[in-house]
Amino acid sequence: MEPKIGVYVCHCGSNIAGVVDVESVAKFAGGLPGVVVSRDYKFMCSDPGQDLIKKDIKELGVNRVVVASCSPQMHEPTFRRAVQEGGLNPYYFEMANIREHCSWVTESPKEATEKAKALVSAAVRRVYYHQPLENKEVPVHPDTLIVGGGIAGIQAALEIANAGRKVYLVEKEPSIGGHMMQLDKTFPTLDCSACILTPKMSLVGAHPMIELLTYSEIDNVSGYVGNFRIKIRKKARYVDAAKCNGCGTCMTKCPVKVDSEFDEKLSKRKAIYTPFAQAVPNVTVIDREHCTYFLKGKCRACEKFCERNAINFQQEDEVVDVEVGNVILTTGYKLFDPSPIKEYGYGRLDNVITSLEFERLVNSAGPTSGHILLKNGKEPESIALIHCVGSRDEKYHEYCSRVCCMYAMKFAHLLKEHVHGAQVYEFYIDIRSFGKGYEEFYNRVQKEGTVFFRGRPGEITDVAQTPEEKGKLIVQFEDTLVGKKRRLPVDMVVLCSGIEPHDDAQDTAHKFNISCGKENFFTEKHPKLDPVATMTDGIFIAGCCQGPKDIPDTVAQASAAAARVLALISKGKVEIEADTAFIDEDKCSGCRVCNLLCPYNAISFDEKNKVSRINEALCKGCGTCVAGCPSGAITHRHFTNEQINAELEGILV
Amino acid sequence: MINGKTTFLNEVASIPACDKINECVQCGVCSGSCTTAEHWEYPPRKIIAMVRSGMKDEVLNSNSIWYCVSCYLCTARCPRNIKPANIMHALEAIALKEGYKPPTKTTTMYRSFANSIEKNGRIYEFGFMLDYFLKTNPFAALKMLPLAVNLLKHKRMPLLPKSVKGKDQLNKIFHNITTGGSR
Repeated sequence: MEPKIGVYVCHCGSNIAGVVDVESVAKFAGGLPGVVVSRDYKFMCSDPGQDLIKKDIKELGVNRVVVASCSPQMHEPTFRRAVQEGGLNPYYFEMANIREHCSWVTESPKEATEKAKALVSAAVRRVYYHQPLENKEVPVHPDTLIVGGGIAGIQAALEIANAGRKVYLVEKEPSIGGHMMQLDKTFPTLDCSACILTPKMSLVGAHPMIELLTYSEIDNVSGYVGNFRIKIRKKARYVDAAKCNGCGTCMTKCPVKVDSEFDEKLSKRKAIYTPFAQAVPNVTVIDREHCTYFLKGKCRACEKFCERNAINFQQEDEVVDVEVGNVILTTGYKLFDPSPIKEYGYGRLDNVITSLEFERLVNSAGPTSGHILLKNGKEPESIALIHCVGSRDEKYHEYCSRVCCMYAMKFAHLLKEHVHGAQVYEFYIDIRSFGKGYEEFYNRVQKEGTVFFRGRPGEITDVAQTPEEKGKLIVQFEDTLVGKKRRLPVDMVVLCSGIEPHDDAQDTAHKFNISCGKENFFTEKHPKLDPVATMTDGIFIAGCCQGPKDIPDTVAQASAAAARVLALISKGKVEIEADTAFIDEDKCSGCRVCNLLCPYNAISFDEKNKVSRINEALCKGCGTCVAGCPSGAITHRHFTNEQINAELEGILV
Repeated sequence: MINGKTTFLNEVASIPACDKINECVQCGVCSGSCTTAEHWEYPPRKIIAMVRSGMKDEVLNSNSIWYCVSCYLCTARCPRNIKPANIMHALEAIALKEGYKPPTKTTTMYRSFANSIEKNGRIYEFGFMLDYFLKTNPFAALKMLPLAVNLLKHKRMPLLPKSVKGKDQLNKIFHNITTGGSR
């Protein structure tokens, strides 16, 4: 079948036509070898635009199509569909990007037009050699893995489980709950955080469709969309979960006291513990690093007093293999540690505390039973809340953490409620109260008498310059709205730290074969139109692991991720792109270089025949093996040498 | 540019170390960190805002920029890496070049200091202070007398200047700085 090529140059309104002379590009294309028709049109992606292609296929016998328009990222599927509806194999199509790669980045119309011609010429020569390919369909396993048991993971798990699908929820801590469990109230409604979270937690704990794997981590991930195989390491709890009924006798008998992570080290827990009273599952765990028996070989007090013989010092890590069709990562965040900001004195000055420490102090189940107290046990009379600590700062994190303004104002409200006559000051750069009911909450806090100073403090010091400053913390700042530098003595300073990714975010991303952005948050597939998916099919993200966000946004994103997973499950199968690599076994020398190069573990070695083989379902078509093969035995479908050489030729002539 | 004329902001922003002035978010951490801002007519943050508003005369006639003691706390703490101290010094240079008469003796101090270095290749304290007091208020020198006696006693302030080696090279550097240099 002699190739008859149709070329369609898109104006994209004035996006392309404003710079590129589209008519002359279309005219130029008409003179290229094999081209039977070339047109320019205002919007090729519109229905009439697509109809042009279909009509030419039918009436002029066009059997190869080139569209010169935008990036294939958005509209390659659109045009492939049009080509297919016209009756051709969808791979008889090539797209020349003359918008992102040309009109948007080239100022001179003359140069832009030349470049557009070169790109079109490349696409035309390439499409000449295109071959028909068939996409493959693979089944989707109906189970789902969710990593991270904070509010995002809980929400997504419930959505999927309530739809009748099985969920494995993996959490590295002994209980689910995440950071939300540590919070006292939530802005702007002042709902008690634990009161709205614990019902969801117990639903998760009791749900027949949710298999909860706490105190567990992901060891290994293999497979591809619809068919992932996951190795989950259940760390040894030294407590038999089937026997433990959470009575807590072991905790009262254990003689070892350790700083409580849940209470931000403001209280003590035992070496055998649950992080907090409402833990799900309500099963204790022995902290091997601090347990006297593990350190010195004797004690076993917990074992002696456990009526159900649940303690098992011989327990070992257990690796569980599960098969799932989709994965949702909801690994959350870490609070920025303000100790590197020396001028704020965190860790050096008493009564300079972080926001999570404050959350625990103000919580009635916290270390002070909800009494806000200074290190000396007295109530503070004046408190400074400092915004943007570690956020909006090139030295730490350039981004805005999005929650600090609001939680700082929540603190101001709680302080007025908990400490009679407290004078509260907020130090801000800009107030960002963008959510539903947030600006109103700002107004409410102002009405309650909190004083807002616009200015990022230069430093916090305990060196007094006047008698009034003695024994106080002095906030040195410029009241920028007045234009005067001031020193303000207070009793307590709360540093409103920002949100940052976990230290191991890169490792996690690597395990699941997704990528991290500049700041190490997971990268979504599209920042505007696909903030839930990732570039790896079947791996979804939700919550603060994708970027700082508050609880309502996190819940919305988690539900969205769940919906996407359910859509795949209910369809039951996914189509896999046909542009994979294959090995010519006659040429393969069995050197196994490609086995090591493949980032997707798609290549295995056939010991019997001494050749390598590619699993097409796993292959992502990255081309690494093709370039690496010393025998030239590997061919990349849709990126054959012939096609690429023709493309280069097209650009260079 | 406004009507083909370079604005004050553009003039400042075109100085290499001041190029980020447009990125200032006016958070005020510079003023809050400044060791002398109490004495400034306008604190450093406001100076930056005034430059951006084109208030050239107000900025260059104020005492503010001259009170910067180059401790660089502002620059160390600035979240946008604006380098306020550099901007203050750049403004000083513009003020001197364009003949502004700032309400401070700092300019005389700078001049005497620079003269002393130009002459000897290093600072000659006795001559430098003498020059400064003669140009400003000779009687003020009397207040410094006890300190001077103490310094002399401890041989911390030689009466005669000492010059450095290779002064011709230093002169070349000075020449290049004052004339804009030749490549």
